[in-house]
Amino acid sequence: MSFTPGIPVPIGAIERELGRLWEESGESKTRASMINLAIYNEKEGSLERNSAIINGIAGDHAMRAILIQADPKAEGSNAEAWITMHCYVRGAQGGQVCSEQVAFQLEGQAARSLQSVVFSHLDSDLPLALWWQADFHPPIDGKLWRWVDRLLFDSRHWKNPKEQFDLVGQIAGLAETRTVLCDLNWARSLPVRQALAGIFDTPGTLPELQLIESLHLDHAPSHRTTALLLVGWLADRLGWKLTATGDHAHFLDSKGKTVTATLKETEGASISRLRLTSESSTFEVAREIGSDLYVTTAEGKALLPVNRMVRAPKEETKEILLAELARGGRHPLYMKAVKAIHDLL
Amino acid sequence: MSILPANPLREGIANRLSPEPCTLVIFGATGDLTHRKLIPALYNLAAEGALPPAITIIGFARREKSTEQFRKELEEATRKFSRTPVNDELWEQFASSIIYHQSPFDDAAGYASLAKEMEEADRQRGTAGNRLYYLAVAPDQFPVILSHLRESRLSTAAAGSWARVIVEKPFGKDLKSAQLLNSLVSEVFPERDTYRIDHYLGKETAQNIMVMRFANSIFESIWDNNHISHVQITAAEPLGVEGRAGYYDTSGAMRDMIQNHLLQLLTLTAMEPPTSLSADAIRDEKVKVLRSLRPLCGEDVFKHVVRAQYTAGLINGQAVPGYREADGVPKDSTTETYVALQVNIDNWRWAGVPFFIRTAKRMPKGGTEIAITFKGVPRVLFNQGSEVLDENVLVIRIQPDEGVSLRMSAKMPGSSLRIEPVKMDFHYGTSFGKATPEAYERLLLDAMSGDATLFARRDEVEEAWTFVDGIEDAWKTRSDDLAFHTAGSWGPAEAADLAARHGVTWRRM
Repeated sequence: MSFTPGIPVPIGAIERELGRLWEESGESKTRASMINLAIYNEKEGSLERNSAIINGIAGDHAMRAILIQADPKAEGSNAEAWITMHCYVRGAQGGQVCSEQVAFQLEGQAARSLQSVVFSHLDSDLPLALWWQADFHPPIDGKLWRWVDRLLFDSRHWKNPKEQFDLVGQIAGLAETRTVLCDLNWARSLPVRQALAGIFDTPGTLPELQLIESLHLDHAPSHRTTALLLVGWLADRLGWKLTATGDHAHFLDSKGKTVTATLKETEGASISRLRLTSESSTFEVAREIGSDLYVTTAEGKALLPVNRMVRAPKEETKEILLAELARGGRHPLYMKAVKAIHDLL
Repeated sequence: MSILPANPLREGIANRLSPEPCTLVIFGATGDLTHRKLIPALYNLAAEGALPPAITIIGFARREKSTEQFRKELEEATRKFSRTPVNDELWEQFASSIIYHQSPFDDAAGYASLAKEMEEADRQRGTAGNRLYYLAVAPDQFPVILSHLRESRLSTAAAGSWARVIVEKPFGKDLKSAQLLNSLVSEVFPERDTYRIDHYLGKETAQNIMVMRFANSIFESIWDNNHISHVQITAAEPLGVEGRAGYYDTSGAMRDMIQNHLLQLLTLTAMEPPTSLSADAIRDEKVKVLRSLRPLCGEDVFKHVVRAQYTAGLINGQAVPGYREADGVPKDSTTETYVALQVNIDNWRWAGVPFFIRTAKRMPKGGTEIAITFKGVPRVLFNQGSEVLDENVLVIRIQPDEGVSLRMSAKMPGSSLRIEPVKMDFHYGTSFGKATPEAYERLLLDAMSGDATLFARRDEVEEAWTFVDGIEDAWKTRSDDLAFHTAGSWGPAEAADLAARHGVTWRRM
């Protein structure tokens, strides 16, 4: 059976039809919303995929979801819309909490007019998070991004990361926006960053951070940018400057010593191993295939051995999205990390 | 205060202070609190990687048992009480940081061997000489434990380290005993290293009171006697004494609930904006509220306070015995299980605004809330004639079903002008699906991080006792004021009369 993204409605009557949907759904359902989450995609079948993602996260993060499947290169102009709700049982009384979803299929001029066609259907006064599942195209249009409170994207999927990171940098630099950039790839690396940071919370290990000589990362195929963002983060945090690119990237640390970074593609989690080595110590965060735990270790002549496990979150896109939405806030180190590895992209 | 230099990898990862490596010693480690709350909270923190890797937990208790046996008991309890499922591997690793230390509390040798164990943890696990002592014992055990900690020099941290103590409520049973207890603690630990736990302050919604008031301009500008008619703070529970009769009968609702939890909620509701978010800036403002409470003593107590006890009745359709019929309760007990009081805060903001506080056992329904009732609109336009409009009421629900609701008036659709109250309701559970951490998780992490914001300061505790003692002293002079109400009812008629004298009706929750 073919997928339909809900009840077809005229675009001019979306709010009225949503109201009718609520009236018909009875009093046991509660309308809830914390944000507008718009998802923009230019590929066939994206409405079905994204509707499944919304269905998977709406129970944890109530929202008005706006799905857009656009073909801006099509001739003419065409716009269709559908509405539906995602409901979840909550509480001892078994009441249902529901998030609304509006799906758009836009072609031609309509697809190039998101502000008027789509953004007029936001739940007013709630922030807008826009998940851009397509490439960014120059020139960057400040008028579009001005509407957006949080711009989500996933640099893992970019075929030309250097160009795309540069465009993201332009969005970040737009004077008229206060858009928070949220790279899901950066969010994906957060548990590894947390686990690694935890190793250096002790007085014995902390000084070793300034003595790191090499960095080794095992990453899954198609997760090279995830690994590079981690390298950039460490370089920024520890004051390393990139001096040579290639199979082994070389950095100079703050004392002028060379730090070598090696990336290796291997099956498993997006980042299955991150190892830092100094002359006398090794620090590692590792996740075995299929495991839902990170194991962190610190070993060295002058160190008390550290060996602990922490929960590793699921790596499905919806889990990462949910974690990112729940976390909120700005990401002040993100563009610094990107800058630190720009020449490795 | 943090002693370690900052870890550069922590920046941008967490917007809170990082807990420091330490040895946590739990006195009373075989008790209910350790099994139901402390260890499940620590397990969840460890599983999330929120605890420092070097943490060591030493359970100090009198009973004979091995570390293995202790860990097994804790595992069973954690599987039962943890808010997240227990992962075998994670538990195994977490349990390896737990040691059982058997000793009577009054045995100096037990503290000497504890010192050795902690030094060993410093060497083997890197706990860095930091000590956190948790007194999860009855207050009558505090003196002996504290004096031994001092005599064995365990309360004094080595240079570059810290030693802190967490004290569980009750902080005394009156002002005198609280002062004694505080003096005792302060002889051993300075105030900055003393953390008095009131777990209500660790609840998300209690923390949200300040956010709601001071992060929203619309509330703070009407948060005063020009706009607010009265405030009701209620903590109700359907349970009886449930095996706590020994403690409860000597305490009563006033000491068990009002002196700590409800006066804390009152201070958060009534305080002025603090100058910063530092622990002392916030607690300074809370103390000012307590100091501004109009004292109740002598005959005033019987005008402003109602105490009562529940008798046999029905809860959820089930027959329940009266308080005096409960196991362990004397048949002639005069301990109050219900208290309702009306207090005044004598400062510029709250002059003339009555605050009603109520707590009770065996209520038809459980819940804790703060209800702020605003003044009615002038009797012109829509408020004329015999129809009086309902006032706006802002309700902050602390538990369960945490959230905020606002009652307002709206025109009913139709050709005639009929105005009815409607409710705008925000539920944490519907908007934030994420499970909220247990209060003890937050509080333990704060104590390890040196953040005392959510802990009661000495002067807060003593000011609260000063207020409560006036009432308790008056009660000692009479017993004929004790009222009775049926279990499953909303309280005695005397409480309704107390509110009615101010033109107020107690809220049905």
